Amino acid sequence: MNLAARKAQDRIVEPELVRLETDLSRDGRYAGGAVVVTASSVRVLEQGRVVEEIPLAAVEKFEAREMVGGGVLEARVEGEDRLLARFTASHLPRYTAAASYLNKRLQGEEAVLDLPERAVCPTCGRPFPDPASRVCPHCLNKLRVLARMFGFIKPHLWLLVGSVALLLALAGVRLFVPQITRLMIEEVFESGTGDMRALARYVALLGGTQLLLQLLFVARGRVSVTLSGRLAKDLRGMVYQKLQAFSLLEFGQRKTGDLMNRVTGDTNRVQHFFQHHVAMAVTEGLTFLGITVILFAYNWRLAALVLVPAPIVTVLVGAVRRKIWSMYSAQWHTEDRVYSLLQDVLSGIRVVKAFGQEEREARRFIDISWEYARITSRNEKTFNTLFPFMGYLLGLGNFLVLYYGGHLVLGERMGFGELIQFSQYASMLYGPLRFISFFPRWFTEAMTAAERIFEVLDVEPAVKDRPKARRHTIKGEVVIENVTFGYKPHEPVLKGINLTVRPGETIGLVGHSGAGKSSLINLIARFYDPQEGRILIDGVDLRDIAQESFRSQIGVVLQETFLFSGTIYENIAYSKPDATPEEVIRAAKIANAHDFIIRFNDGYDTLVGERGQRLSGGERQRIAIARAILHDPKILILDEATASMDTETEYQIQQALARLIKNRTTFAIAHRLSTLRNADRLVVLDQGRIAEMGTHDELLAKQGIYYRLVMAQREMNQLAGVER
Amino acid sequence: MQDETKNHGLSDYVDIRYLDPATARFSETPGGFVRLTIGEGETYPRVALYRAFPFSYPDQYISVRDMDGNEIGMIKDLRAFDEATVRLLERELERRYFTPVIRRIESVKEEFGYWYWTVETDAGPRRFTVREVQHNVVRLSPEHVLIIDLDGNRYEIPDTGQLDPRSRRYLEDLF
Repeated sequence: MNLAARKAQDRIVEPELVRLETDLSRDGRYAGGAVVVTASSVRVLEQGRVVEEIPLAAVEKFEAREMVGGGVLEARVEGEDRLLARFTASHLPRYTAAASYLNKRLQGEEAVLDLPERAVCPTCGRPFPDPASRVCPHCLNKLRVLARMFGFIKPHLWLLVGSVALLLALAGVRLFVPQITRLMIEEVFESGTGDMRALARYVALLGGTQLLLQLLFVARGRVSVTLSGRLAKDLRGMVYQKLQAFSLLEFGQRKTGDLMNRVTGDTNRVQHFFQHHVAMAVTEGLTFLGITVILFAYNWRLAALVLVPAPIVTVLVGAVRRKIWSMYSAQWHTEDRVYSLLQDVLSGIRVVKAFGQEEREARRFIDISWEYARITSRNEKTFNTLFPFMGYLLGLGNFLVLYYGGHLVLGERMGFGELIQFSQYASMLYGPLRFISFFPRWFTEAMTAAERIFEVLDVEPAVKDRPKARRHTIKGEVVIENVTFGYKPHEPVLKGINLTVRPGETIGLVGHSGAGKSSLINLIARFYDPQEGRILIDGVDLRDIAQESFRSQIGVVLQETFLFSGTIYENIAYSKPDATPEEVIRAAKIANAHDFIIRFNDGYDTLVGERGQRLSGGERQRIAIARAILHDPKILILDEATASMDTETEYQIQQALARLIKNRTTFAIAHRLSTLRNADRLVVLDQGRIAEMGTHDELLAKQGIYYRLVMAQREMNQLAGVER
Repeated sequence: MQDETKNHGLSDYVDIRYLDPATARFSETPGGFVRLTIGEGETYPRVALYRAFPFSYPDQYISVRDMDGNEIGMIKDLRAFDEATVRLLERELERRYFTPVIRRIESVKEEFGYWYWTVETDAGPRRFTVREVQHNVVRLSPEHVLIIDLDGNRYEIPDTGQLDPRSRRYLEDLF
């Protein structure tokens, strides 16, 4: 250690507030370094040397700036930005969190440092392949996962027992076949006393054994399919159930695609493994072991000879398969490109035609399909060359057996029948080798998938009922007490909100986008729990009310009206599946939806959703209102659509909404002034705090934020020529 | 008359203001960033540089913006400026677009659908992990390859023809 470095080391005696590792020097080379912040100073180290030191008191502000493929940490000192350190994109989340934490401290605010962990496996240091998951395929204790997997097989134990019995029988019968051949040769041909009847007996025996073997194969296939199918069904059901118990917080942290993948993809992988590979591994493994034992018992010299090429063959076969695999993955990628180009052009055919680019597109397509054809034919040629040779390699041991065995037979030290038996065993021995070279990969893949499933099963939902949570019949009073909330703990989007709402009151929530309106509604609906403060319903803490009981008494009409695939009837009755047709019609009438529904050919039985009838925004919204009316909630949450509609539809919806909110405590995010005017009180949110509160007229008179919003909207309407 | 004013307004939006090397002076701030003065008096204490065509024209059409992201003007060609300015601007660009050039590929190993790379770059040796190679190893042109790793770091091979045969083979296996 050089002197400067030692000096640096000596001075760091103060406790470190923050220590940020970096992998990039300030002149853009990969090198280890760190930013160390103590109560008195900021030090930047590069390879152990202090390259920058600033008293913390001089720093006005920190900033972690995201760049392409990396970022920089800056500090403002005496009004001048200074470069502190650079880092690659791998460290960006930590620097951003640290900068926000330090800035809060500089402003004297309370702050907790929450550095996001780097997504690397703590054991081997490899990055987790999937950042959303904490499974390292490398360090995964596969046997432990397998053991846990067997816990899931337990309910189907009799299937497992049957399956194992079948596998044992299979291996046994297979090993028996060469035995019969030998006996036949010895008794029928070599003993000199053989006759046609003995021959017929042996042929029948062989035929019968083969038939038995095939029947056992069929049974094995059926049992594995049943077992793996049930296992996958159980797993899928459990993952799905768990997902339903998740709060939106857990959903927010994960991508929908990733969750869907765990419900379908990972369970399929586990199923495939148990269906195809496990049964095969056991059969092939048993056969291999059995043969080896038999061969050595008979003639160890010959047995050793059979096994000599085995390691070489295993390695070669593995190499060939890897080659073939990489060949075909190139082919799949090209195939992907062909399809996506085709899909692109066909779905954009209007644009192609409008610009007269048919010919160019055709040429592009021909080019890529030519490349695809070239790769395909190259692969097929390689495959057709390699495959026969692979078979040849697998048969190599046989030649050695024939030569040495023939030698023994000639010297009358071995019977001819024995030689044939030996040779049959030898060729059977190499079958399992093909399989064994790829088994570890399959095993790891399946266990990784299984662990990812367990990961979901092990998540503790953030929003959960307290142990003493009970049912509560809501009267409608809502009190929000000192609530602070952020989707990430260190970035609150709502700060110290206090609000008391009387039963039946309608509250309009107003504010710029990002002011916290949706977040407040998410808390009232208990999609999330606040980090600080509490929400009381009729004086009872929301967390003390059983979720299921609470949700059955609130209604939500969202901006993006979601209709499930099904009939209009089913969609309206979604919250109350046992509703009578009369109730549904009454709800639709209140929602001003009845008339347009009746005009459809299929009336209330009209299919909507993914593959059904296309409904206009206004129609969808009225169906959603009807759904909420039928649900008859005590507390209602409205996130009003921003989409502009014609005056008639707008009127119909307004009327429907007015009927809906009557006598219910209502929270409405309103974008249209017409709605706001009807609210009992308006709450204006600004940067996560309540900025203004009062009726429409009061707030206008105040000439604050609300006044400016109203004026801006009027101006917009005038510009668009749609003054209402 | 009205039409004229309208046209005038439009050209204000679409005209590109090129920074003239004769009047635009870039200088280094005490903190190591870039300051811009245009003519007399038009001063920006700190500016940021953005490439309009990071791959096709890395040294041309560079947007110069103030720290609020408003465009001050564009540099048509970096090379039109004097050497010291070019060095200053290149350093700033290198910070924004940190994309080391891969000189040699030591190994590419695939494990469970993830590709572990060990490479030698012009910024030093580096190991990184790539997933979904078909999306994250991008051929910008037949010879120009861009690689994006798991964390969003970027690596570039401007001309695969310049690589040694072993490195080239690793790449070919991917495509």
